[in-house]
Amino acid sequence: MNALLEQFLSESRDFLQGIGEKLMQLEAEPESIPLMTELFRFVHTLKGNSGLFDFPEMTRVLHASEDLMDAVRHGRVNYSQELTDQLLDAMDFVGILMDEIESTGRIGNHHATNSVELTKSLRDLLAQSTAHSDEQISASQGISNIDHPSVDQVLEEFTAVEVDLAQEITVGFSEPTFDLKEDVATALYRAAIEGSSVFWVEYIPEPECFFKGEDPFYLSRQIPAVLWCHTRLQHDIASLAEMDVYSSQLTFQLLTLATQEELDDIFRYVPDQVMRREISALAFVKPGGIESDNAVDDDFVSRLLEWLNEGDVERASHSIRTMLELSAPELWSSSVLRWTLLIIELEPSNQPVQCALINTLRTHDKTDLVSLVQNESSDDIVSETLLPEVPLTNTLDRHDEVSDDLSIDSGLMTGFYVVVNAQKVVLSSPPSAWLVGRIKSVAATLIAVHHATHQLHEIEQIQEALQHSLADHSPKPLLELVEHILNQVPTSDEIVASAPVAIPVEVHPVVEETVVIEEVIEPTAKFGRRVEDASPHFGRRAEDANTTVSKTLKVDQEKIDRLMNLIGEMVVAKNALPYLANRAESVFGVRDLSREIKAQYAVINRVAEEMQDTIMQVRMMPVSFIFQRFPRMVRDISRKLGKEVELVLEGESTEADKNIIEALSDPLIHIVRNSLDHGLEAPDVRVAAGKNAIGKLLIRATQESDRVLIEIIDDGRGINPDVIKQKAYEKGLIDESALERISDEEAVNLVFAAGFSTADVISDLSGRGVGMDVVRSAVERINGTVGIESEVGKGTRLYLSLPLSMAVTNVMIIESNQQIFGVPMDMVVETVRVPRAQLSSIKQKQTTVLRGRIVPLLSLNELLALPFEQVPNEDDEFATLVVRVHGEHVGIVVDDFRETVDIILKPMTGILGGLGGFSGAALLGDGSVLMVLNPRELI
Amino acid sequence: MAIEYKKSLAVLTDFVGVEEAENLLQWLLKNPKGKINLAGCVHIHAANLQVFMAVKPQVSVWPADEELKRWLTILEK
Repeated sequence: MNALLEQFLSESRDFLQGIGEKLMQLEAEPESIPLMTELFRFVHTLKGNSGLFDFPEMTRVLHASEDLMDAVRHGRVNYSQELTDQLLDAMDFVGILMDEIESTGRIGNHHATNSVELTKSLRDLLAQSTAHSDEQISASQGISNIDHPSVDQVLEEFTAVEVDLAQEITVGFSEPTFDLKEDVATALYRAAIEGSSVFWVEYIPEPECFFKGEDPFYLSRQIPAVLWCHTRLQHDIASLAEMDVYSSQLTFQLLTLATQEELDDIFRYVPDQVMRREISALAFVKPGGIESDNAVDDDFVSRLLEWLNEGDVERASHSIRTMLELSAPELWSSSVLRWTLLIIELEPSNQPVQCALINTLRTHDKTDLVSLVQNESSDDIVSETLLPEVPLTNTLDRHDEVSDDLSIDSGLMTGFYVVVNAQKVVLSSPPSAWLVGRIKSVAATLIAVHHATHQLHEIEQIQEALQHSLADHSPKPLLELVEHILNQVPTSDEIVASAPVAIPVEVHPVVEETVVIEEVIEPTAKFGRRVEDASPHFGRRAEDANTTVSKTLKVDQEKIDRLMNLIGEMVVAKNALPYLANRAESVFGVRDLSREIKAQYAVINRVAEEMQDTIMQVRMMPVSFIFQRFPRMVRDISRKLGKEVELVLEGESTEADKNIIEALSDPLIHIVRNSLDHGLEAPDVRVAAGKNAIGKLLIRATQESDRVLIEIIDDGRGINPDVIKQKAYEKGLIDESALERISDEEAVNLVFAAGFSTADVISDLSGRGVGMDVVRSAVERINGTVGIESEVGKGTRLYLSLPLSMAVTNVMIIESNQQIFGVPMDMVVETVRVPRAQLSSIKQKQTTVLRGRIVPLLSLNELLALPFEQVPNEDDEFATLVVRVHGEHVGIVVDDFRETVDIILKPMTGILGGLGGFSGAALLGDGSVLMVLNPRELI
Repeated sequence: MAIEYKKSLAVLTDFVGVEEAENLLQWLLKNPKGKINLAGCVHIHAANLQVFMAVKPQVSVWPADEELKRWLTILEK
C-alpha cells in the first residue's frame, strides 16, 4: 500500500469519526450553522480525497452525502432524524469500504450495488426534502424556485424512468418480435438449467457520457459470453441534420452467461446506468413458428398430459417424437413439442412446466410459460392447477366408465384429423427445394394414418394423388385429396365439441403482467416510500464487535519530545552505572559487585539504545514533506522567469528526523530558487549553447549510513570561479595571495562565505535577505554540511549532508586546563600526539606537518581565552585533535583525550544562548555538565 | 485516418474514435446512398454506432470480427 493511500485511510477515519460526532451534536442543536458548515467541510474534504483514488463506490456515496449536506447547510433541506440516519449509514458504508481497502487494497465488486442504493436513497432524501421546501417557498413567497425541480417534475422524472425501464423489459421479453432464435434460446435454457446464471443486462449510458471519455459500446463489448445482444436508440431521431452526435441516446441490451462479479466489475463506474437481472431458465422457453389451428389435436394433448402427470416420461417423449416426425418442423406446435422434449430431457421431474407447455397446444396461449407455471405452482395439486375447471383424471375416469371403445376410436379419429390437417399445412406452405420430399412424406403419413384408422379404401386414392403430384411437381393433387378428406368429417371445432373429453375453453386466465425475471437486486427505496423502510443498512459501527481500530496514532509532538527528553535522562542515568561499578571496586573494594553491575549495565544499555532508536523512528519523516512543494514552486518561478524547467525528484521516501526536515525547508527553497534564477538559462540561451531548451533540475535525497545527502543538480550555466574570486577579493573576503592560490572548487564554495553577495548575482527573486551564507549557517546549525561543485557551462551540483537525527550526539571528551569539553565526533578527523620538536612556526602561528600536509595548530586554552599553556604529556608530546572545519584540517591542541560518549545535546538557552563557540551542554553519567564545543565557531 | 471517405463509400479501419462521429454524420447526410465498409474495422466508438443507428446506412462489407458484426445486426436490411 502506498504512503498516500495509507495517509488517506488514516485521515479518513478521523473524518468519519468527526462526521459521526458532528451528526450527534447536530441532533442536539439542529439549527447550528457552524456545526452544519463544519460537517459539510468534513464530507467535502473526504469526498475530494477519495477522488484521488480509484474508489468510485466510495466517492459516489460521499458525493451524494456532500450534496445533501450542502442542501442542509443552505437551508434547502430541513434537518431531520431520518437524514442523520441516512448519513450515518452512508458513513458506516464508507467505513466498511475503508476496512476492505486496508485489508485487500481494493473495493470488492459486490459493494457497487450497495453504493448505488445508498446514493439513491440519499438523493431521494434530497429530492424529497427539496421538493418539500420548494413547496413551502413557493407557498409562502410566491416565488418558484428555478434551480430545483418541483415535486411534480421530480415525480414525473422518476415515474418516467421506472415506466421506461418496465417497457424495455416487456419489449425484450414478452413481445413476439423478441428475436431469440430457437437454437440460441435452447442454449440459454440449457445453460440456465445446468447451473449458469443468465443475466439480462440493459445499459443506458447517460447522455453526456461521451464527454466523460466513456465508450459505452466498448464497455458493452467487454462483457464475456454474450449470447444475444441488441442496440437501440431511445428515441427516433426526428431530424438527422440536427442530431447531436455527442449526446448518447443508446441503449444496449444483452443476454450473457457472464457472472455477476464480471458484470459488476465491467460496470463499476456506471452501476446506476445498468440494470442487471438474472433470468430464470423458463423464460427462454418460448416456442415460435407458424401457427396452425389443428396441428395437434386435443386428445393427443390430453394423453400427453396424463402421461406426464403420471411421470411416464418415456411414453410421453416417445409419443412426442412420433408426433414431431409427423408434423412440419416450422410449425409452432412442433416448436412446443421440441421444447417439451428438451425440458423432459433436462428437467424430467418438472411436470408442471411440461404440462403447462403441452397445454398451450390447446389454449394457444402465448403468454410466458413462467407466469403460467408460477400462477399454478401457488396451488398444490398439479393436475388440478393444470386444468382447474375440468380435472383431467376425473374426466378420463368418467368416460372410461361410459365407453372404452368409443373413447379410443374417437381419440384415434381426432388424432387422424389432426395429422391430416397438419399435412394440409405442410402442403400449403410455400414451395421450396424440398417439395418432392415433402410430397412423399405427406403421402406416407396419410397412408399410415389411414392404415391406423382402418380406412384402407382411401389408400389407393392417396397413392394416385401422389403419382399426380410427383408428375406435376405440384402439391395440388395431394392437397385436394387432403381437403376432400377433411371435408368429409366434422370440422375440428365439431371434433372438439363432440369429443368425449370436454376441453376447457380457457384453461389459464392470465392474471397479471408477466413476471419473467427474478429480481436479483433488492428493490431500493422507491420515491414516495419512507426511506428507512427500504434503504439498506450497514450495521452501526458502534454495535460492531470487530471494529477495526486505526493502526495509526496521531500524537502531539510535545509528547514525543517529552519522551525524547525522558530517554535522554535514561541514557544519562544508565551512563552512571559504569561509574558506580568503578566506585564499587576502587572505593569499596567489592570486585564481584562491580562485575555484576557491569553485566546489568550491558542489559540496560541494550534496552535503552533500542528505545532510543524506536523513539527516533517515531520522529522520522520522509523528505517528501518538503519536496512536495517544489513542483508547484518550480512551475511558478520558471513561468515568472520565462524558463522551461523539468523538475525531477528522487528519493522522496528517504527519512530523517522531523527537526532536520523542518530546518531544511527554508535553505532548500532558497537553493532551488537560486538554481532557477542563476543556474538555468533562458530557453534561447540554452539552445544557442547546444543544450535542450528545457532545463533540468534534479533534487535527490539519499541516505548514506547515518546521514542524509540531498543534492540539487541543475544543468545550467554553472558558476565561473574567476568571477567569484574577483567578487570575493573585491569584498575583501580573500586576500591577494589567496586569489592566486585557491583552487576553482574552493573558489566556488566562496559563495557560502558570509557577506558574499553582489548586486548582479542576487536578484529580487533569490535575494530575499537570505544569502548562501545563511543557507550554510542554517544547515550547520543542524550539524549538516553544505558544498557546491560546478562546471562552467555544464551545471552546478549543490549538496547538503545532514545527520539522520539530532537527538543523540556522539562526542569525544577532551581535557584542557583541568576541565572537560566535548567535541562532536563527526568533526574529528584524528587524534595525534605531536612531539614538541615537530612544531614549527609560520607567521607566528604554530603548525606541524601531518602526512605531508601542513596543519595549523591552535591551542584550545587560547581559543577559550584561558591564560594557560597547554600541558604536554610525559614524553613532551601535545595531544592534538585534528578537526575538519569548512573542508580544511585544523589541529586543536588540548591537554588530554578521554573517551567518547553518546549524549543528548541540549542547546543553551537564556543568556548562555548567545555564547559563541559552544553548541550546547549535556549531562554526564556522574552528574557533571559537559560543555560541547563548536569548533566552527571557535576557530 | 480511421475513416477514409471515398466517392460513395466510407471505409472504416481499426479503431474509429469518438472524434469521427461528427464528420461521419455529415458525410452520411451528404451522401444518403453512401455505403460503409467495415472490413478492417475492429471497434467503433459508441458515438459512431449511434450515428449508424440513426442513419442506417447500407453496409457494403461487414466486419471480420463476428462479435462486432453481431452487435451491428441492427443495420441489416
